[in-house]
Amino acid sequence: MSKERSSFIGHLRACLSIFRIKTAQGFQYRMAGLAGATTGIFWVLIEITVYTIFYTYADTREAGPMAGLSLEQAVSYAWLAQIFFLMQPMSIDSEILGKITSGDVGIEMCRPMDLYFHWFAKTAASRLVPLFWRGSITLIAGLLMPLSYRLTGPATLTGLLFTLISLFSAFLLCSSYAMLVCAVRLNIPWGDGPTYIMMLIGGVLSGGYLPLQLWPQFLQGFLLIQPFAGYLDIPLRFYVGTLMPSEGGWAIGLQLAWSAVFMVIGKTLMSRRLKNIVIQGG
Amino acid sequence: MAQIELSGICKTFKVSQRPEGRFAMLRGAFVRETRLVKALEGITFQIDEGELVGYIGPNGAGKSTTVKIMSGILTPDAGTCRVMNRIPWRERVSHVSQIGVVFGQRSQLWWDVPVMDSFSLLKDIYNIPGPAFIKRRDDLTEILGLASLLKTPVRQLSLGQRMRCEIAASLLHSPRILFLDEPTIGLDAVSKLELRDFLKGENAKNGVTMILTTHDMDDIEALCSRVMVIGHGRLLYDGQLEALKTRYAPTRRIRAELERPVEAFYLPGAEAIQTEGETWTVLFNPTQTPAHEMVERLAGRLPIRDIVIEETDIDEIIATMYKEMGL
Repeated sequence: MSKERSSFIGHLRACLSIFRIKTAQGFQYRMAGLAGATTGIFWVLIEITVYTIFYTYADTREAGPMAGLSLEQAVSYAWLAQIFFLMQPMSIDSEILGKITSGDVGIEMCRPMDLYFHWFAKTAASRLVPLFWRGSITLIAGLLMPLSYRLTGPATLTGLLFTLISLFSAFLLCSSYAMLVCAVRLNIPWGDGPTYIMMLIGGVLSGGYLPLQLWPQFLQGFLLIQPFAGYLDIPLRFYVGTLMPSEGGWAIGLQLAWSAVFMVIGKTLMSRRLKNIVIQGG
Repeated sequence: MAQIELSGICKTFKVSQRPEGRFAMLRGAFVRETRLVKALEGITFQIDEGELVGYIGPNGAGKSTTVKIMSGILTPDAGTCRVMNRIPWRERVSHVSQIGVVFGQRSQLWWDVPVMDSFSLLKDIYNIPGPAFIKRRDDLTEILGLASLLKTPVRQLSLGQRMRCEIAASLLHSPRILFLDEPTIGLDAVSKLELRDFLKGENAKNGVTMILTTHDMDDIEALCSRVMVIGHGRLLYDGQLEALKTRYAPTRRIRAELERPVEAFYLPGAEAIQTEGETWTVLFNPTQTPAHEMVERLAGRLPIRDIVIEETDIDEIIATMYKEMGL
């Protein structure tokens, strides 16, 4: 028992160590962050212009979904979406992908670690890395904009607290879905196609392109319980105040439940793939 | 009981092929034809603790496949394999904590961070206790001369420097067995010599079993007393290196550059003589006529400008073996 426990702690320490080295590695790409942030900021400004036109010329009281979200809330949502969509897996971590395609998976398997958790640590780190530079630059830009373009404060302080907790669950959810995508990518002959489709579906359903509340009314029920609302939409609803802290329990529970589902499927799929994997090249 | 025991190991890979003929590319998109390639057909051998074994064979012979099976990352189709009394692929995690691997063409260090950081990470991955890690790291740093490299990011190291770091990285956790897959590939002569010295020392001092796959005959000659030759998935030879050479490549070759062309004549001890302009190539058997005598005989009768004695290289030995076994 105690031996098992110490080996568990050993594994945990190794995973944390990998996480640390990987984030430290990502921290040095300042210019990439600045370039990304510039693109992002322009994108938000265009979005805000479009929203403003719609909110000004549409009859908001009768425009169904638009009634639930004010222009000011939509603007804040757009800024935060531009920051936190960075956590979403949009491609497989280049280091891991390189290892899968070149056959260096072999070296990874020569380590006394479970490959799933080993890669989970790496994937999680690469979810966090873009937030350092790109995310923080975008955030500052959002706070400094003129009034009608500005990222306004959270609806309530409790709302902010729930946003933060929910963002952490979103981080777990994004990492576990990224790992599921990785496990699928281990089917080397399939190539990149299926994994990009998987990641794109996640991105669209997360609310990153259009807040989920502005989608058609009849979809709302489905949109809220599908896994990808947890990527972005749930934390942001806490922030703008369209989801009350009293609803926090089930909303965050939903995020964690989906994370658990992705982890179980990802881990199972991965162990099955690894059993009959063919190590590429020499 | 031997440390490594393989018996009757077989492994077959499926290789997909594009159909031939008209519209092949189009048909290939819908129908995949697969072909079975037998990588290993019944490999059996035993290796004792502390042995230094050279594992040689041409490309595609099955060397890497065998190494991958022994290191637990590939499951064979048939046969048994026990390494340190464990089945590698069944108990992968506890197995790999006792072995080290060096792949000459692949890196296990982190590209963008200083070497030292990679080492610290390996400490956590292998769960090496602090004091043991520091001692081992300092020892390796000293012997391999890494002191000035530890703070450099891996991407800025030369190949030779990187290779030394790779070797150190694979030995930090004091493995009992070290698999080396072409460790000297692409290295210059000095780096090769240093690396060989180090490996020899490590084997003598700590009794680490080493299995070395390489195409470089000098590596084998400098390091290994025992060689295993594999070809077409079968073990063709397993035994002493000297015995292999006397059996399959008994002759040496003298290549002499002359001042002016000379016609071939009978020379005692020479098995064959080829002349081509000013170059003479003489084959002889050093067990019957020692090399220095042969050179003296040549020098006495020919206007020699330059002279080189060559050994049959490994590719020729393998070619001879293939021919003899009708493969």
